[in-house]
Amino acid sequence: MAGAVQPKVKGLSWRQFVAILRKDIVMELRTFEMLTSMGLYTLLTLVIYQIALSQSGSGFDVRLIAAGLLWLAFVFTSMLGLNRSLVHEKDQGCLEALLLSPVDRPVIFFAKAVGNLIFLLVVEVITMPLFFVMFLSSRPLGGSWWMIPIALLVGSIGIAGVGTLLATISVNTRGRDFILAVLFVPIMYPLLLAAVGATSAAVLGNPGYLEEFWRDLALAGGYDAIMLLAAYGLYEFVIGA
Amino acid sequence: MDRRKLTLIALGAAAVLTLADFLLASFVAAPVLADMTLDTAGVNIGGKLIANPILFSQKIFYFHVPVAIASFVVFFFTAFYGVRFLMTRDRAFDTKARIATEVTLMFTLLTMLTGDLWTRVEWGVWWVWEPRLTTYLIMLLLVIGYFVLRASVEDEQKRAVYAAAFGIIAFLDAPLSFAITRIVPSGSHPVVFRAGGGLDAWQLTAFLLGMLGMLCFGYVIYQLRYREERVRERIDVLKAMLED
Repeated sequence: MAGAVQPKVKGLSWRQFVAILRKDIVMELRTFEMLTSMGLYTLLTLVIYQIALSQSGSGFDVRLIAAGLLWLAFVFTSMLGLNRSLVHEKDQGCLEALLLSPVDRPVIFFAKAVGNLIFLLVVEVITMPLFFVMFLSSRPLGGSWWMIPIALLVGSIGIAGVGTLLATISVNTRGRDFILAVLFVPIMYPLLLAAVGATSAAVLGNPGYLEEFWRDLALAGGYDAIMLLAAYGLYEFVIGA
Repeated sequence: MDRRKLTLIALGAAAVLTLADFLLASFVAAPVLADMTLDTAGVNIGGKLIANPILFSQKIFYFHVPVAIASFVVFFFTAFYGVRFLMTRDRAFDTKARIATEVTLMFTLLTMLTGDLWTRVEWGVWWVWEPRLTTYLIMLLLVIGYFVLRASVEDEQKRAVYAAAFGIIAFLDAPLSFAITRIVPSGSHPVVFRAGGGLDAWQLTAFLLGMLGMLCFGYVIYQLRYREERVRERIDVLKAMLED
Protein backbone atom coordinates (compact mmCIF):
# COMPACT_ATOMS: atom_id res chain seq x y z
CA MET A 1 0.00 0.00 0.00
CA ALA A 2 1.47 3.28 -1.03
CA GLY A 3 2.12 5.96 1.58
CA ALA A 4 1.14 4.39 4.87
CA VAL A 5 -0.10 6.78 7.53
CA GLN A 6 2.68 7.59 9.96
CA PRO A 7 2.72 9.45 13.26
CA LYS A 8 4.01 12.97 12.86
CA VAL A 9 7.56 12.46 14.09
CA LYS A 10 9.69 15.49 13.55
CA GLY A 11 12.49 15.06 11.10
CA LEU A 12 11.35 11.61 10.01
CA SER A 13 11.39 12.40 6.31
CA TRP A 14 14.86 13.87 6.60
CA ARG A 15 16.16 10.80 8.42
CA GLN A 16 14.63 8.51 5.82
CA PHE A 17 16.15 10.60 3.06
CA VAL A 18 19.58 10.48 4.67
CA ALA A 19 19.28 6.75 5.26
CA ILE A 20 18.49 5.93 1.65
CA LEU A 21 21.11 8.34 0.35
CA ARG A 22 23.73 6.92 2.71
CA LYS A 23 22.90 3.39 1.58
CA ASP A 24 23.57 4.33 -2.02
CA ILE A 25 26.79 6.15 -1.23
CA VAL A 26 28.15 3.45 1.06
CA MET A 27 27.35 0.80 -1.51
CA GLU A 28 29.19 2.82 -4.08
CA LEU A 29 32.17 3.46 -1.83
CA ARG A 30 32.53 -0.26 -1.20
CA THR A 31 32.70 -1.31 -4.81
CA PHE A 32 33.37 1.92 -6.74
CA GLU A 33 31.61 0.18 -9.55
CA MET A 34 29.53 3.04 -10.85
CA LEU A 35 32.14 5.74 -10.48
CA THR A 36 34.86 3.78 -12.23
CA SER A 37 32.63 2.73 -15.08
CA MET A 38 31.25 6.26 -15.50
CA GLY A 39 34.68 7.82 -15.26
CA LEU A 40 36.23 5.38 -17.70
CA TYR A 41 33.33 5.86 -20.07
CA THR A 42 33.85 9.63 -20.06
CA LEU A 43 37.56 9.20 -20.66
CA LEU A 44 36.89 6.90 -23.59
CA THR A 45 34.47 9.45 -24.98
CA LEU A 46 37.23 12.03 -24.87
CA VAL A 47 39.46 9.66 -26.81
CA ILE A 48 36.74 9.24 -29.40
CA TYR A 49 36.52 13.01 -29.64
CA GLN A 50 40.17 13.04 -30.52
CA ILE A 51 39.48 10.56 -33.30
CA ALA A 52 36.62 12.71 -34.55
CA LEU A 53 38.76 15.85 -34.49
CA SER A 54 41.91 14.22 -35.80
CA GLN A 55 41.40 15.38 -39.37
CA SER A 56 40.35 18.90 -38.50
CA GLY A 57 43.79 20.41 -38.79
CA SER A 58 45.74 22.64 -36.45
CA GLY A 59 43.87 25.82 -37.34
CA PHE A 60 40.57 24.46 -36.11
CA ASP A 61 39.33 26.20 -32.99
CA VAL A 62 38.02 23.45 -30.75
CA ARG A 63 36.63 26.02 -28.36
CA LEU A 64 33.75 26.62 -30.74
CA ILE A 65 32.37 23.15 -30.05
CA ALA A 66 34.07 22.48 -26.71
CA ALA A 67 30.94 23.14 -24.65
CA GLY A 68 28.92 20.77 -26.80
CA LEU A 69 31.56 18.05 -26.60
CA LEU A 70 31.71 18.38 -22.84
CA TRP A 71 27.99 18.11 -22.37
CA LEU A 72 27.77 15.25 -24.83
CA ALA A 73 30.22 13.26 -22.75
CA PHE A 74 28.23 13.91 -19.60
CA VAL A 75 24.92 13.05 -21.23
CA PHE A 76 26.17 9.64 -22.37
CA THR A 77 27.78 8.98 -19.03
CA SER A 78 24.70 9.96 -17.10
CA MET A 79 22.52 7.66 -19.17
CA LEU A 80 24.85 4.86 -18.14
CA GLY A 81 24.92 5.87 -14.50
CA LEU A 82 21.20 6.49 -14.14
CA ASN A 83 20.25 3.04 -15.24
CA ARG A 84 22.99 1.46 -13.18
CA SER A 85 21.73 3.07 -10.00
CA LEU A 86 18.33 1.43 -10.34
CA VAL A 87 19.26 -1.92 -11.88
CA HIS A 88 20.77 -3.08 -8.60
CA GLU A 89 17.63 -2.18 -6.73
CA LYS A 90 15.46 -4.06 -9.11
CA ASP A 91 17.57 -7.16 -9.52
CA GLN A 92 18.30 -7.61 -5.83
CA GLY A 93 14.75 -6.95 -4.79
CA CYS A 94 15.67 -3.81 -2.87
CA LEU A 95 12.96 -1.87 -4.62
CA GLU A 96 10.20 -4.05 -3.22
CA ALA A 97 11.70 -3.83 0.24
CA LEU A 98 11.86 -0.07 -0.09
CA LEU A 99 8.25 0.09 -1.19
CA LEU A 100 7.12 -2.13 1.66
CA SER A 101 8.74 0.05 4.29
CA PRO A 102 6.70 3.08 5.39
CA VAL A 103 8.75 5.59 3.47
CA ASP A 104 7.09 8.40 1.56
CA ARG A 105 7.58 7.97 -2.17
CA PRO A 106 8.82 11.53 -2.71
CA VAL A 107 11.56 10.84 -0.17
CA ILE A 108 12.72 7.93 -2.29
CA PHE A 109 12.70 10.20 -5.31
CA PHE A 110 14.82 12.87 -3.68
CA ALA A 111 17.23 10.37 -2.19
CA LYS A 112 17.76 8.63 -5.53
CA ALA A 113 17.97 11.89 -7.45
CA VAL A 114 20.48 13.43 -5.07
CA GLY A 115 22.52 10.22 -5.15
CA ASN A 116 22.61 10.33 -8.93
CA LEU A 117 23.48 14.01 -8.81
CA ILE A 118 26.41 13.38 -6.48
CA PHE A 119 27.82 10.64 -8.69
CA LEU A 120 27.39 12.75 -11.80
CA LEU A 121 29.10 15.71 -10.13
CA VAL A 122 32.01 13.54 -9.02
CA VAL A 123 32.47 12.30 -12.57
CA GLU A 124 32.30 15.87 -13.86
CA VAL A 125 34.87 17.07 -11.35
CA ILE A 126 37.23 14.33 -12.46
CA THR A 127 36.64 14.87 -16.16
CA MET A 128 36.84 18.67 -16.33
CA PRO A 129 40.62 18.92 -15.80
CA LEU A 130 41.18 16.11 -18.29
CA PHE A 131 39.03 17.86 -20.85
CA PHE A 132 40.88 21.11 -20.28
CA VAL A 133 44.24 19.48 -20.68
CA MET A 134 43.28 17.57 -23.77
CA PHE A 135 41.33 20.15 -25.71
CA LEU A 136 41.42 23.61 -24.19
CA SER A 137 45.02 24.10 -23.20
CA SER A 138 46.03 26.07 -26.26
CA ARG A 139 44.01 29.23 -25.68
CA PRO A 140 42.76 30.90 -22.51
CA LEU A 141 39.15 30.80 -21.46
CA GLY A 142 36.93 33.62 -22.55
CA GLY A 143 34.99 33.99 -19.33
CA SER A 144 35.77 33.46 -15.68
CA TRP A 145 36.67 29.94 -14.62
CA TRP A 146 33.92 29.66 -12.02
CA MET A 147 31.18 30.05 -14.62
CA ILE A 148 31.64 26.58 -16.04
CA PRO A 149 31.10 24.69 -12.75
CA ILE A 150 27.92 26.69 -12.14
CA ALA A 151 26.57 25.81 -15.57
CA LEU A 152 27.51 22.17 -14.98
CA LEU A 153 25.73 22.19 -11.65
CA VAL A 154 22.48 23.63 -12.95
CA GLY A 155 22.45 21.25 -15.90
CA SER A 156 23.32 18.25 -13.77
CA ILE A 157 20.47 18.97 -11.38
CA GLY A 158 18.01 18.72 -14.25
CA ILE A 159 19.67 15.61 -15.67
CA ALA A 160 19.66 13.84 -12.29
CA GLY A 161 16.11 14.81 -11.39
CA VAL A 162 14.28 13.98 -14.61
CA GLY A 163 16.72 11.18 -15.36
CA THR A 164 15.83 9.44 -12.12
CA LEU A 165 12.16 9.43 -13.08
CA LEU A 166 12.88 8.19 -16.60
CA ALA A 167 15.32 5.55 -15.34
CA THR A 168 12.72 4.25 -12.90
CA ILE A 169 10.39 3.83 -15.85
CA SER A 170 12.96 2.33 -18.20
CA VAL A 171 14.41 -0.14 -15.72
CA ASN A 172 11.06 -1.92 -15.72
CA THR A 173 10.90 -2.31 -19.47
CA ARG A 174 12.35 -4.87 -21.83
CA GLY A 175 15.07 -2.82 -23.50
CA ARG A 176 16.41 -0.88 -20.53
CA ASP A 177 19.22 1.32 -21.75
CA PHE A 178 17.71 1.80 -25.14
CA ILE A 179 14.38 2.93 -23.71
CA LEU A 180 16.16 5.32 -21.38
CA ALA A 181 18.02 6.86 -24.30
CA VAL A 182 14.84 7.16 -26.39
CA LEU A 183 12.96 8.88 -23.57
CA PHE A 184 15.90 10.86 -22.23
CA VAL A 185 17.15 12.78 -25.25
CA PRO A 186 13.94 14.55 -26.35
CA ILE A 187 13.00 15.45 -22.78
CA MET A 188 16.47 16.76 -22.02
CA TYR A 189 16.84 18.69 -25.24
CA PRO A 190 15.83 22.15 -23.95
CA LEU A 191 17.98 21.78 -20.84
CA LEU A 192 21.00 20.68 -22.85
CA LEU A 193 20.55 23.51 -25.30
CA ALA A 194 20.49 26.06 -22.50
CA ALA A 195 23.38 24.42 -20.65
CA VAL A 196 25.56 24.22 -23.74
CA GLY A 197 24.71 27.84 -24.49
CA ALA A 198 25.77 28.94 -21.04
CA THR A 199 28.96 26.84 -21.05
CA SER A 200 29.83 27.99 -24.54
CA ALA A 201 29.41 31.63 -23.56
CA ALA A 202 31.81 31.03 -20.69
CA VAL A 203 34.35 29.23 -22.84
CA LEU A 204 34.37 31.55 -25.82
CA GLY A 205 33.95 34.87 -24.09
CA ASN A 206 32.57 36.67 -27.12
CA PRO A 207 31.31 40.23 -26.54
CA GLY A 208 28.10 40.11 -24.55
CA TYR A 209 28.90 36.69 -23.14
CA LEU A 210 28.07 37.62 -19.58
CA GLU A 211 24.43 38.37 -20.19
CA GLU A 212 24.12 35.42 -22.51
CA PHE A 213 25.58 33.20 -19.77
CA TRP A 214 23.13 34.38 -17.12
CA ARG A 215 20.21 34.27 -19.51
CA ASP A 216 20.90 30.68 -20.54
CA LEU A 217 21.50 29.77 -16.93
CA ALA A 218 18.12 31.27 -16.02
CA LEU A 219 16.49 29.21 -18.77
CA ALA A 220 18.15 26.04 -17.52
CA GLY A 221 17.09 26.90 -13.98
CA GLY A 222 13.52 27.44 -15.14
CA TYR A 223 13.55 24.07 -16.86
CA ASP A 224 14.90 22.46 -13.70
CA ALA A 225 12.19 24.00 -11.55
CA ILE A 226 9.32 22.95 -13.80
CA MET A 227 10.57 19.47 -14.61
CA LEU A 228 11.66 18.62 -11.08
CA LEU A 229 8.22 19.57 -9.84
CA ALA A 230 6.61 17.34 -12.47
CA ALA A 231 9.00 14.46 -11.74
CA TYR A 232 8.38 14.80 -8.01
CA GLY A 233 4.64 14.67 -8.59
CA LEU A 234 4.76 11.71 -10.93
CA TYR A 235 7.29 9.59 -9.08
CA GLU A 236 4.79 8.21 -6.63
CA PHE A 237 2.76 6.69 -9.43
CA VAL A 238 5.71 5.42 -11.37
CA ILE A 239 7.47 3.64 -8.56
CA GLY A 240 4.31 2.08 -7.23
CA ALA A 241 3.29 0.57 -10.55
CA MET B 1 -27.24 14.79 -29.42
CA ASP B 2 -25.21 11.63 -29.28
CA ARG B 3 -21.61 11.13 -30.23
CA ARG B 4 -22.28 9.70 -33.66
CA LYS B 5 -24.24 12.71 -34.83
CA LEU B 6 -21.72 15.08 -33.34
CA THR B 7 -18.92 13.27 -35.14
CA LEU B 8 -20.76 13.44 -38.43
CA ILE B 9 -21.45 17.13 -38.01
CA ALA B 10 -17.83 17.75 -37.10
CA LEU B 11 -16.74 15.81 -40.18
CA GLY B 12 -18.93 17.95 -42.38
CA ALA B 13 -17.72 21.09 -40.68
CA ALA B 14 -14.10 20.02 -41.08
CA ALA B 15 -14.54 19.38 -44.76
CA VAL B 16 -16.32 22.65 -45.41
CA LEU B 17 -13.99 24.74 -43.30
CA THR B 18 -10.76 23.36 -44.68
CA LEU B 19 -12.07 23.59 -48.21
CA ALA B 20 -13.04 27.19 -47.63
CA ASP B 21 -9.61 27.80 -46.13
CA PHE B 22 -7.76 26.40 -49.11
CA LEU B 23 -9.94 28.11 -51.68
CA LEU B 24 -9.61 31.43 -49.95
CA ALA B 25 -5.91 30.96 -49.48
CA SER B 26 -5.32 30.04 -53.07
CA PHE B 27 -7.48 32.61 -54.82
CA VAL B 28 -8.48 35.41 -52.53
CA ALA B 29 -5.89 35.96 -49.82
CA ALA B 30 -3.16 38.33 -50.80
CA PRO B 31 0.21 36.73 -51.43
CA VAL B 32 3.00 37.72 -49.14
CA LEU B 33 5.80 39.76 -50.59
CA ALA B 34 9.45 39.31 -49.88
CA ASP B 35 11.09 42.35 -48.37
CA MET B 36 12.62 44.10 -51.35
CA THR B 37 13.85 47.11 -49.41
CA LEU B 38 16.93 45.25 -48.26
CA ASP B 39 18.32 44.57 -51.69
CA THR B 40 16.91 46.19 -54.78
CA ALA B 41 18.59 43.75 -57.11
CA GLY B 42 16.60 40.87 -55.75
CA VAL B 43 16.25 38.48 -52.86
CA ASN B 44 18.73 35.69 -52.39
CA ILE B 45 16.79 32.46 -51.99
CA GLY B 46 18.89 29.30 -51.85
CA GLY B 47 21.74 30.86 -53.73
CA LYS B 48 19.68 32.22 -56.58
CA LEU B 49 18.78 35.86 -57.02
CA ILE B 50 15.01 36.14 -57.21
CA ALA B 51 13.76 39.38 -58.58
CA ASN B 52 10.09 38.53 -58.26
CA PRO B 53 8.98 39.56 -54.78
CA ILE B 54 5.83 37.45 -54.61
CA LEU B 55 6.26 34.46 -52.29
CA PHE B 56 3.68 31.95 -53.37
CA SER B 57 5.41 29.36 -51.28
CA GLN B 58 4.12 31.18 -48.22
CA LYS B 59 0.65 29.86 -48.97
CA ILE B 60 1.58 26.55 -47.45
CA PHE B 61 1.26 28.48 -44.20
CA TYR B 62 -2.51 28.05 -44.41
CA PHE B 63 -2.12 24.32 -44.06
CA HIS B 64 1.06 24.06 -42.07
CA VAL B 65 0.20 26.27 -39.09
CA PRO B 66 -3.34 24.93 -38.50
CA VAL B 67 -1.97 21.39 -38.52
CA ALA B 68 0.84 22.39 -36.18
CA ILE B 69 -1.49 24.04 -33.69
CA ALA B 70 -3.94 21.13 -33.95
CA SER B 71 -1.17 18.68 -33.13
CA PHE B 72 -0.33 20.61 -30.02
CA VAL B 73 -3.97 20.83 -28.95
CA VAL B 74 -4.39 17.07 -29.31
CA PHE B 75 -1.14 16.54 -27.43
CA PHE B 76 -2.73 18.41 -24.54
CA PHE B 77 -5.39 15.72 -24.44
CA THR B 78 -2.71 13.04 -24.17
CA ALA B 79 -1.49 14.70 -21.00
CA PHE B 80 -5.03 15.40 -19.81
CA TYR B 81 -6.14 11.79 -20.16
CA GLY B 82 -2.87 10.73 -18.59
CA VAL B 83 -3.66 12.81 -15.54
CA ARG B 84 -7.21 11.45 -15.42
CA PHE B 85 -5.90 7.92 -15.64
CA LEU B 86 -3.48 8.43 -12.78
CA MET B 87 -6.30 9.90 -10.73
CA THR B 88 -8.89 7.22 -11.40
CA ARG B 89 -6.95 4.17 -12.71
CA ASP B 90 -9.72 3.72 -15.26
CA ARG B 91 -8.44 1.87 -18.32
CA ALA B 92 -10.68 3.84 -20.63
CA PHE B 93 -8.55 6.91 -20.02
CA ASP B 94 -5.44 5.00 -20.98
CA THR B 95 -7.04 4.03 -24.29
CA LYS B 96 -8.12 7.63 -24.84
CA ALA B 97 -4.62 8.89 -24.15
CA ARG B 98 -3.13 6.40 -26.57
CA ILE B 99 -5.50 7.37 -29.34
CA ALA B 100 -4.93 11.06 -28.72
CA THR B 101 -1.22 10.39 -29.10
CA GLU B 102 -1.83 8.58 -32.37
CA VAL B 103 -3.68 11.60 -33.71
CA THR B 104 -0.87 13.82 -32.45
CA LEU B 105 1.61 11.67 -34.32
CA MET B 106 -0.35 12.05 -37.52
CA PHE B 107 -0.59 15.83 -37.21
CA THR B 108 3.06 16.16 -36.22
CA LEU B 109 4.14 14.15 -39.25
CA LEU B 110 2.03 16.39 -41.46
CA THR B 111 3.58 19.45 -39.82
CA MET B 112 7.09 18.16 -40.39
CA LEU B 113 6.35 17.25 -43.99
CA THR B 114 4.82 20.58 -44.94
CA GLY B 115 7.40 22.46 -42.92
CA ASP B 116 10.17 20.64 -44.74
CA LEU B 117 8.60 21.42 -48.09
CA TRP B 118 8.29 25.03 -47.05
CA THR B 119 11.92 25.38 -46.07
CA ARG B 120 12.99 23.68 -49.27
CA VAL B 121 11.00 25.98 -51.52
CA GLU B 122 11.40 29.19 -49.63
CA TRP B 123 14.90 28.94 -48.23
CA GLY B 124 16.43 26.47 -50.63
CA VAL B 125 17.63 24.01 -48.02
CA TRP B 126 16.11 20.72 -46.98
CA TRP B 127 16.45 21.29 -43.28
CA VAL B 128 17.32 24.15 -40.98
CA TRP B 129 17.76 24.06 -37.23
CA GLU B 130 15.41 26.92 -36.58
CA PRO B 131 13.21 27.02 -33.46
CA ARG B 132 9.92 25.80 -34.85
CA LEU B 133 11.27 22.94 -36.93
CA THR B 134 13.53 21.81 -34.11
CA THR B 135 10.69 21.90 -31.60
CA TYR B 136 8.54 19.83 -33.88
CA LEU B 137 11.32 17.33 -34.36
CA ILE B 138 11.54 17.04 -30.60
CA MET B 139 7.78 16.61 -30.40
CA LEU B 140 7.95 13.90 -33.05
CA LEU B 141 10.65 12.14 -31.04
CA LEU B 142 8.57 12.45 -27.87
CA VAL B 143 5.52 10.92 -29.51
CA ILE B 144 7.58 8.13 -31.05
CA GLY B 145 9.18 7.57 -27.65
CA TYR B 146 5.69 7.27 -26.15
CA PHE B 147 4.86 4.42 -28.50
CA VAL B 148 8.24 2.75 -28.07
CA LEU B 149 7.69 2.86 -24.32
CA ARG B 150 4.24 1.35 -24.64
CA ALA B 151 5.56 -1.45 -26.83
CA SER B 152 8.31 -2.40 -24.42
CA VAL B 153 6.26 -2.97 -21.28
CA GLU B 154 4.31 -6.21 -21.06
CA ASP B 155 2.27 -5.72 -17.92
CA GLU B 156 -0.86 -3.77 -18.78
CA GLN B 157 -1.17 -1.82 -15.57
CA LYS B 158 2.49 -0.80 -15.62
CA ARG B 159 2.29 0.14 -19.26
CA ALA B 160 -0.64 2.44 -18.65
CA VAL B 161 1.00 4.15 -15.67
CA TYR B 162 4.34 4.65 -17.42
CA ALA B 163 2.68 5.90 -20.59
CA ALA B 164 0.57 8.36 -18.61
CA ALA B 165 3.60 9.66 -16.69
CA PHE B 166 5.69 10.02 -19.82
CA GLY B 167 2.83 11.66 -21.70
CA ILE B 168 2.52 14.32 -18.99
CA ILE B 169 6.24 15.01 -18.92
CA ALA B 170 6.42 15.08 -22.71
CA PHE B 171 3.58 17.58 -22.90
CA LEU B 172 5.37 19.83 -20.42
CA ASP B 173 8.55 19.50 -22.43
CA ALA B 174 7.15 20.67 -25.78
CA PRO B 175 6.48 24.35 -24.92
CA LEU B 176 9.69 24.49 -22.89
CA SER B 177 11.51 23.29 -25.96
CA PHE B 178 9.83 25.94 -28.06
CA ALA B 179 10.64 28.73 -25.64
CA ILE B 180 14.25 27.73 -25.14
CA THR B 181 15.04 27.15 -28.80
CA ARG B 182 13.68 30.61 -29.45
CA ILE B 183 15.74 32.35 -26.82
CA VAL B 184 19.07 30.52 -27.04
CA PRO B 185 20.53 31.72 -30.33
CA SER B 186 21.61 28.86 -32.50
CA GLY B 187 23.78 30.60 -35.01
CA SER B 188 22.98 32.00 -38.40
CA HIS B 189 20.60 30.37 -40.81
CA PRO B 190 19.06 31.61 -44.01
CA VAL B 191 16.01 33.75 -43.49
CA VAL B 192 13.87 35.44 -46.05
CA PHE B 193 12.50 38.63 -44.56
CA ARG B 194 8.92 39.47 -45.23
CA ALA B 195 7.51 42.88 -45.90
CA GLY B 196 4.98 43.87 -43.27
CA GLY B 197 4.03 41.91 -40.17
CA GLY B 198 0.44 40.90 -39.61
CA LEU B 199 -2.24 39.21 -41.63
CA ASP B 200 -4.84 41.25 -43.45
CA ALA B 201 -8.55 40.47 -43.34
CA TRP B 202 -8.77 37.75 -45.98
CA GLN B 203 -5.58 36.06 -44.88
CA LEU B 204 -6.77 36.03 -41.32
CA THR B 205 -10.16 34.64 -42.33
CA ALA B 206 -8.59 31.87 -44.35
CA PHE B 207 -6.24 31.01 -41.52
CA LEU B 208 -8.95 30.91 -38.87
CA LEU B 209 -11.24 28.80 -41.03
CA GLY B 210 -8.43 26.38 -41.60
CA MET B 211 -7.62 26.37 -37.91
CA LEU B 212 -11.18 25.49 -36.96
CA GLY B 213 -11.39 22.95 -39.73
CA MET B 214 -8.24 21.16 -38.59
CA LEU B 215 -9.44 21.01 -35.00
CA CYS B 216 -12.74 19.49 -36.15
CA PHE B 217 -10.76 17.09 -38.29
CA GLY B 218 -8.66 16.04 -35.32
CA TYR B 219 -11.78 15.50 -33.24
CA VAL B 220 -13.37 13.38 -35.96
CA ILE B 221 -10.34 11.14 -36.37
CA TYR B 222 -10.04 10.76 -32.62
CA GLN B 223 -13.70 9.76 -32.24
CA LEU B 224 -13.64 7.29 -35.11
CA ARG B 225 -10.47 5.68 -33.83
CA TYR B 226 -11.79 5.52 -30.29
CA ARG B 227 -14.93 3.86 -31.46
CA GLU B 228 -12.85 1.31 -33.34
CA GLU B 229 -10.88 0.61 -30.18
CA ARG B 230 -14.02 0.13 -28.12
CA VAL B 231 -15.40 -2.35 -30.65
CA ARG B 232 -12.08 -4.19 -30.60
CA GLU B 233 -12.16 -4.40 -26.82
CA ARG B 234 -15.67 -5.76 -26.85
CA ILE B 235 -14.65 -8.38 -29.39
CA ASP B 236 -11.80 -9.41 -27.14
CA VAL B 237 -14.13 -9.74 -24.18
CA LEU B 238 -16.56 -11.82 -26.23
CA LYS B 239 -13.76 -14.03 -27.46
CA ALA B 240 -12.62 -14.61 -23.90
CA MET B 241 -16.16 -15.47 -22.91
CA LEU B 242 -16.46 -17.97 -25.78
CA GLU B 243 -13.31 -19.71 -24.71
CA ASP B 244 -14.66 -20.44 -21.26
